[in-house]
Amino acid sequence: MDFALSGESKMMVKAAKDFALKEIEPVTEKIEREDALPDDLLQKFAKARMLGMMVPREYGGIGSSALNVILVAEELAKTASAAVFVMALNNSIAETIHYWGSEDIRQRFIPSLCDGSNYASMAFTEPATGSDPTAITMTAKHEGDHFILNGTKRFITNGHKNGSGVFYAKDETEKVTAYMVEKNTGGYTWSKPWSLMGLAGQGLVDVFLKDVKVSQENILGEPGKGFHILLRWIAGERIQQMAFMTGMGQECLNQSLKFAKERMVRARPMTAMQGFQWMLAEMHASIEACRWWTYRVACMQDAGDDFQIDSAALKLFVVPTIQEVARKALQIHGSYGYCKDYKIERLYRTIAHAGITASSTELQKTIVGSALSRSKDI
Amino acid sequence: MDIIVCIKQVPDSYDISWDKSTGSLSRQSTGAILNPIDKNTLEAALTLREERGGFITAISMGPDQAEEVLREALGMGIDKAILLSDKVFAGADTLATSYALSCAIKKINRFDMVICGKESYDGVTGHVGPQLAEFLDLPQLTNSTEIAVKKNKVLVKQKIEDGYRLLEASFPVLITVGKNINQPRIPSMEDIMDAYREKMIDIWRGEDLNSNTEGFGLNGSPTKSQSVYVKKLEKGSAEILKGEPDVTAKRLVEILKEKGLL
Repeated sequence: MDFALSGESKMMVKAAKDFALKEIEPVTEKIEREDALPDDLLQKFAKARMLGMMVPREYGGIGSSALNVILVAEELAKTASAAVFVMALNNSIAETIHYWGSEDIRQRFIPSLCDGSNYASMAFTEPATGSDPTAITMTAKHEGDHFILNGTKRFITNGHKNGSGVFYAKDETEKVTAYMVEKNTGGYTWSKPWSLMGLAGQGLVDVFLKDVKVSQENILGEPGKGFHILLRWIAGERIQQMAFMTGMGQECLNQSLKFAKERMVRARPMTAMQGFQWMLAEMHASIEACRWWTYRVACMQDAGDDFQIDSAALKLFVVPTIQEVARKALQIHGSYGYCKDYKIERLYRTIAHAGITASSTELQKTIVGSALSRSKDI
Repeated sequence: MDIIVCIKQVPDSYDISWDKSTGSLSRQSTGAILNPIDKNTLEAALTLREERGGFITAISMGPDQAEEVLREALGMGIDKAILLSDKVFAGADTLATSYALSCAIKKINRFDMVICGKESYDGVTGHVGPQLAEFLDLPQLTNSTEIAVKKNKVLVKQKIEDGYRLLEASFPVLITVGKNINQPRIPSMEDIMDAYREKMIDIWRGEDLNSNTEGFGLNGSPTKSQSVYVKKLEKGSAEILKGEPDVTAKRLVEILKEKGLL
């Protein structure tokens, strides 16, 4: 068991840190104010070769590992900006297309996600569904060599931006299939972005498909197996999301340490007081546990192991743990932490997202609990 | 244009500790980074190569772990990396370091320009660049903030105490650069992977340099450290001056003069 990161991984972390300081931190206030990411940011990620990191070079990626992706994501997440979500989504969806897609689909859809010319979307959720595949109402009607898609998808990241998306719909057999949909196609419209508590600029929209024609060549994976694709993607997404949480948790501690060292109470810095020392110590221990478990599940993904249950258990642990870290950080900052002038305010709002998005923490309990119930080990 | 860049691994200043028994830097417990100005040095070389073509070789002298800074240089885009690593180089002061680097550069033989950072983060002597120019018998353009190549000449804008001056030299030449010369590029993830997986670092030992090894390391170093200590800062007392502003200001000036600060 080797807990040391390779030189390559450490240098990627350093490069991600420099990238965050140069390209993201200076525009975070503008992103908050305008609720939109800069148009050139995706291209900057592409130039830094941070998109499609897990897909082979022949498709425009770099053939790196899930571990390296989450190390980069953890570092970028310290900005508490939705920018990292855009980077992560293009990575996870390119990987999903590579894993499930035919050679034709790989060639047509992956390169543009790696070179930053297209934004990826994953479209499962609908107004009346959560994570239940049986409740999906989007339909796919087979007509000759294509399908006609109709229905509404909700909370779709980048649904309003150029590119392609993986859309889940039921055909006449009532089974869910994943279709690659070009977002600039006829019959494709969208709502204005939802205004979110945090993650300004993420761009969650509702998408309306009215008689959208999709070639049968655009079926991702096997017909009727769409939910398998979703479950595997979301398991990988959870690891990335927990890397974001770890990075933001670390930034909560960094900001708290800085504040507590400078803030004098009765002529002593807050760090000299046992109560605050204990809070800082608990934050540190919590973050370390989250970090190494996240790395371990990413290594399982790289090894080709089934990581779906482990990533659910990971989320079950990391979300409340880092939310408690953020709560302590806010307490350490006192009233200052409740002001927008302090980064902890944005971190606190951003950290709140993880228990809800990409499936709720409660659902992870069901996934892990039912897996334990089925287990024959005991 | 063939460029040689000299770079150094230095202790991370956020992670320094001292060996109290020897009074020296405890390198085992210290994180190491690429000397910050050396990133600017590499960027200057990369920019010149983009403008005029050519080949960039980076050289560093240090223990095996100094390979990391050469990997970083490879990630930024240099063509070849050489590490001078041998016990015979250990304990070198700036003169012995410059001598060893000059031997390596003479061995490479083919070059138009040598670029060094104006100083290292740890030693802060600023000796190596000028000494290296002397060993190689090259014109030296130090503390450059801009570099331009025109025909067969190199022109630099040199920062001096009260302004700038423009200097010109013929090739081959040695240039030292400061931090404000450029904004170093960030290596891409792909280039970092290639730096570790596709590229090699040449390791040169003392005997590879075809030179008198007496000039290397401790033997070749006229500078000997007697001792190293951490200055102790003692907590002082504060005196608060009260009264009319002109009176307290005069008193403040007197106190500062008494302490030799004015």
